[in-house]
Amino acid sequence: MTGLFSISQGHSVLPVVLPLLAAFLMQPLGRVARPLALLLGPATLALSAYLLIRLWLAYGDAPYALAIGGFAPPLGITFYVDRLALLFATAVPVLTLLFWSRGEDDADPLRRDAVMLLLAAAATGLALSGDLFNIYVFYELVAVASFGLVTLRATGAAYIATVRYLLLSALGSVLALVGIAIVYLQTGTLSLAQLAMLAPDALQNPLGLAPFALLLIGFGVKAELFPVNTWVPEVYATAPTRISALLAGLVSKLAVIVVVRLLVLAFDGTGATQLMLALGALGFVTGELAAWRARDLNRMLAYSSIGQLGLVFVGFSLGGTAGMLAGLALVLHHLIIKSALFALATRWRGALARLTGAARSAPVSAGLVVLFALSLIGVPPLPGFWAKLLLVLGLVELSTPLALGALALVLLGSAVEANYLFRLVVRLYARPDDASTPALPKPKLLDFGVASAAGVLLLAATVSVVPVSGWLRGVADQAADRAAYIDTVFPTTLVQSGAR
Amino acid sequence: MRNLASLVFTAGLAFLLLVIAAQLGFGEPPMRVGGAILEQAPAEVGAANIVTAVLLGYRGIDTLGELSILFAAATATGLVLVRGRKDCGHGTSDPPGGFILRTGADLLFPLLLVVGFYIILHGHLTPGGGFQGGVILAAAFFVLVLARPGADGSGGTSHTAIAFIEGLAGAGFIAIGLWSLWDGGEFLAPLLGKGVMGELLSAGTLPLLSLAVGLKVGAELAGLMTQLAEQPAGPQHPHPQAEDRGS
Repeated sequence: MTGLFSISQGHSVLPVVLPLLAAFLMQPLGRVARPLALLLGPATLALSAYLLIRLWLAYGDAPYALAIGGFAPPLGITFYVDRLALLFATAVPVLTLLFWSRGEDDADPLRRDAVMLLLAAAATGLALSGDLFNIYVFYELVAVASFGLVTLRATGAAYIATVRYLLLSALGSVLALVGIAIVYLQTGTLSLAQLAMLAPDALQNPLGLAPFALLLIGFGVKAELFPVNTWVPEVYATAPTRISALLAGLVSKLAVIVVVRLLVLAFDGTGATQLMLALGALGFVTGELAAWRARDLNRMLAYSSIGQLGLVFVGFSLGGTAGMLAGLALVLHHLIIKSALFALATRWRGALARLTGAARSAPVSAGLVVLFALSLIGVPPLPGFWAKLLLVLGLVELSTPLALGALALVLLGSAVEANYLFRLVVRLYARPDDASTPALPKPKLLDFGVASAAGVLLLAATVSVVPVSGWLRGVADQAADRAAYIDTVFPTTLVQSGAR
Repeated sequence: MRNLASLVFTAGLAFLLLVIAAQLGFGEPPMRVGGAILEQAPAEVGAANIVTAVLLGYRGIDTLGELSILFAAATATGLVLVRGRKDCGHGTSDPPGGFILRTGADLLFPLLLVVGFYIILHGHLTPGGGFQGGVILAAAFFVLVLARPGADGSGGTSHTAIAFIEGLAGAGFIAIGLWSLWDGGEFLAPLLGKGVMGELLSAGTLPLLSLAVGLKVGAELAGLMTQLAEQPAGPQHPHPQAEDRGS
């Protein structure tokens, strides 16, 4: 029996389960004690974050596996907890709390809170789960919860955007499910660790790569991957800005992490990486070109997010620890910056032209935008520079025709990115054309706080680039270690006979 | 042009999937996990129905996830319906169901409840279980609502009661899981001893989990139906898009 305040590895399931429990109890509690119900969401998320941090402190060194229900893998479902999983699992409650809706979109706050909690639980599950079908279940939960959240502004445009998102997402889910079915038919298992053991024989052939392509496109819908990202600009422009921040900053990254886990465990060093490289590079350049043409702040951020995620896919496709490091650096960089930019955009949404001269009324916010823009472009010594440098070096080192083509696209996209971000900065500091234009409202204090904290974090990472990159290399090493994953889930070699 | 592009895309995708399907070795699936579960499940879980052993035992957290997806869909539908637009629909309320329909519904209601609960409670013994039985429970309430298209649309069922059953059943599922965790095992590990296989009281906590699933699914769907049937004060219909979203 475990005490109430001691922590054990078995508690790793709580950050997934407690938000679900709170979501289920929201309506009954709301009918008994409404003020308590309104506090339930933030309290649960704070508890989840606290538990994850304690787990990190207690067990953060070596990865461990958790057999849910006590059923040994591969029969039961496993959670695999390494630093990568803990990092993203912790990011979920923290960011959901930071972007918790405050006072707006209040037609039905209890239902909204419940859906937010479901989103947080499912996103945490995506980070932790080590079972292909379990990942699919959490992915579906993320999808359904996000459908509800992006309609919160209840405008006609939001409903239309959501229906498009719904259809595309459904297509993606079906493709992913077909991919999972093929994987199961080829291998007879869904446990990622066992898939990793069987992959060299069963999956690293054309019939195995086909399901990877299906899964990549399927999970790619949330990860804003090149051909299936057409929902992004409309949804981010019509959804509440905080929800856009969550989807762009966090949920997209978790879909990427799922694909990366699959890539590392089952498809490393196959044609799968080339597919990711090509789609990622195309996504980057198309996203940045579209952002260049955008005339609306939320749309510009949405397109830029598509572009950055393309870059992330290029990074992870490099393979090995180097690729993992480049991808992770880009993921974290974009997670911090895009969340902060959306936080600033909560009061600035709408046409870019309105932002002319905004630096006068909100000098610090404008300064933060400049900082984030410089880091996104990759101006040394900001962290964005190091992330892009890792990527470019990796591509040069590969120097296959495809990698060099991707390199050209990445450099072209970066030039486009620099152009439109500088245009934004110039606009912020320009003299307003018309003195009578009303000053833009300043961001709310908490959103401003989020953005400032991100700015401070970015500067801190700039001055301590060596320890940060060392720590990140540790995370990447662990995440790229396929053998460790298998050994952790199946600690003895006996399993091979038990698994038959 | 757009239609042509969609057609080409669909044809291409269909061709790809067909080629993949042609290559797959149907008929000789590798029964790696499946075979092991068939061998071990009776002794490990104690449920006569192996499908339930997989759903509530081996893959219990998947079932929790599926429950949450249904809950998310119903809640998201509620979020959209709560803003039902006042400009659509003109208060054309449905005609009354008539004596025969109402009496038939009243007769059918208890029978459907009995069948539903039977299927839920025997989920670990015979084909069926929480999801199937829950849908039958919901159907019992559908019959009531459809036979009495009244002003409040609830057919006499109370929103508060539905909300409580739905929430507490879901919480009950998780509470059983947490009980195992607190007891020193893993989340959702079966408790209470396996009993004699084939008896009603066997397979540990599986029947309880099944009951929680059944009540939650039933309450969820019944709640969704009453929400859709509802015509709150004045001429108001749910927004058409809302109905797609629940499915």
